[in-house]
Amino acid sequence: MAFLEVENVTAGYGNGPDILKGLSLKFEQERTYCIIGPNGAGKSTLFRVICGLLHPRKGRAVFKGEIISRLRTEEILRRGISFVPQDRSLFPDMTVRENLRMGGYILKNRRELKDRIEEVFRMFPILKERSSQQAKTLSGGEQQMLATGRSLVLRPTVMMFDEPSLGLAPKVAQGIFECIHQLKNEGMTIILVEQNARKGLECADWGCVLDLGKNRFEGPAKKILDNPRIQELYLGRKPQDRQEDTA
Amino acid sequence: MTHLVQVLLLGITLGGMYALMASGLTLVFGVMRIVNIAHASFMMIGAYISYWAFKLYAVDPILSILISMPLMFLLGLVIYKFLFFKITGSPRYGELTVLLTFSLALIIEGILGFFFTNIYRSTNPSYATDSILFGPFYLPEGQVYATLSSMGLIVLLWTFLLTTRTGYAIRATMQNRAAAQVVGVNVELVSMVAFGIGIALAGASGSMIAYLFPFYPAKHWEWIAVLLSLIVLGGMGSLIGALIGAFALAISSAYVSFFVGPTWASVTFFLALFLILLIRPQGILGKKMEG
Repeated sequence: MAFLEVENVTAGYGNGPDILKGLSLKFEQERTYCIIGPNGAGKSTLFRVICGLLHPRKGRAVFKGEIISRLRTEEILRRGISFVPQDRSLFPDMTVRENLRMGGYILKNRRELKDRIEEVFRMFPILKERSSQQAKTLSGGEQQMLATGRSLVLRPTVMMFDEPSLGLAPKVAQGIFECIHQLKNEGMTIILVEQNARKGLECADWGCVLDLGKNRFEGPAKKILDNPRIQELYLGRKPQDRQEDTA
Repeated sequence: MTHLVQVLLLGITLGGMYALMASGLTLVFGVMRIVNIAHASFMMIGAYISYWAFKLYAVDPILSILISMPLMFLLGLVIYKFLFFKITGSPRYGELTVLLTFSLALIIEGILGFFFTNIYRSTNPSYATDSILFGPFYLPEGQVYATLSSMGLIVLLWTFLLTTRTGYAIRATMQNRAAAQVVGVNVELVSMVAFGIGIALAGASGSMIAYLFPFYPAKHWEWIAVLLSLIVLGGMGSLIGALIGAFALAISSAYVSFFVGPTWASVTFFLALFLILLIRPQGILGKKMEG
């Protein structure tokens, strides 16, 4: 039994079509996964299913042997799965500290919440400096730090990042990947969706290619990076580049 | 000069009340994106609660807020549960909320008319017609009490929103519904509570209208028109905007009434509405709408 597993999940929004079409994936503890695939492949939908924002039409998600796909987000957060959504998704008019407080919304004990926020401040000192600034006044990189910090308040064991480097300058994005690396070294299980697939895969142990709601291919991240067919289809490398390389 | 200050004071004493009415309306819009056309008809229910409490048991109209608010809060919860709960997630949510609240306004008007007939009513506590004099100025006592109580309620509302866990959840849902869900806020429950609060505030304003402005069931149409212009001016969904809009329009309509004539006072609101929609459609503090 895998640590976290989705089994034959079919899911979609409202009365719309299926986005995930019988997707099965396994995630082992303390490993880092990078999921790549074109737009509309169902990457974000997969995250929404795992963290309880969307209930699957068929199939299930299992965490530590327990079926979690019918639980509410709050209950999934309590079990240690956190989600950092796309576009940072902060509370723009709240201060940095208030945003972190919202990260610990499900904690009822105020003292505990305060300690956890201090912990996040130790990890991201810049957030402490900005603690009484409104989130919307932060730079892109700081906002991503805040979104990450907000999820860390709950001390999760699994963290899912949806496009963490989206819209960030390369140097800032590098900082985010270093932060993910650090979390990985601390033993966190990380699932990453990244439009910068190369960077994401370099950060990961295992990669999988999602397309049209199905798992097309998976394997060690390094292997995926070196696979010419995947390079062509999903890593934006043209066939002639390869010929030039070999020439 | 004395006149100018006098008119300003009159405007301010009305502004506080407008601010309370607008706060409830903008809160409901901010959290649920419901343009609550029925807001003023809920105020009418509050007015009738106060009226009968005064008439039958001689309950002071301002104290009757303690009765009208909890009752209206419960009514708000029930209405949200039965009317709005089902349409969340509908692709036509925006249109549906307008149609639903519009018909709700008609239904409430009909029910009130059926039971209480369409004659003008007004509670008349002793302070409704008295004035407070100081120096060359006078302030209508009833209006002063109403505005002070309104401001008191607004302070309570803000304290609640800024310090309690539910208050945080309401603000978070107003600012970013998707993110609120991600951190584990039960946005449906929060919406229901916020709707209840919005309706309770409408009820409280109704209790004060009851002795300041004569009312009858269909009077809510005049009020909702005014309230919508207040919150559009301030920026829909912004509580500070609602305060600014309320005071700005109360004061300017007081001046228009003084310089141009009382019949033109109500035109101020709609003129302001036209202008703001032309110049800054998102309102003073509002955010640009997407999609």
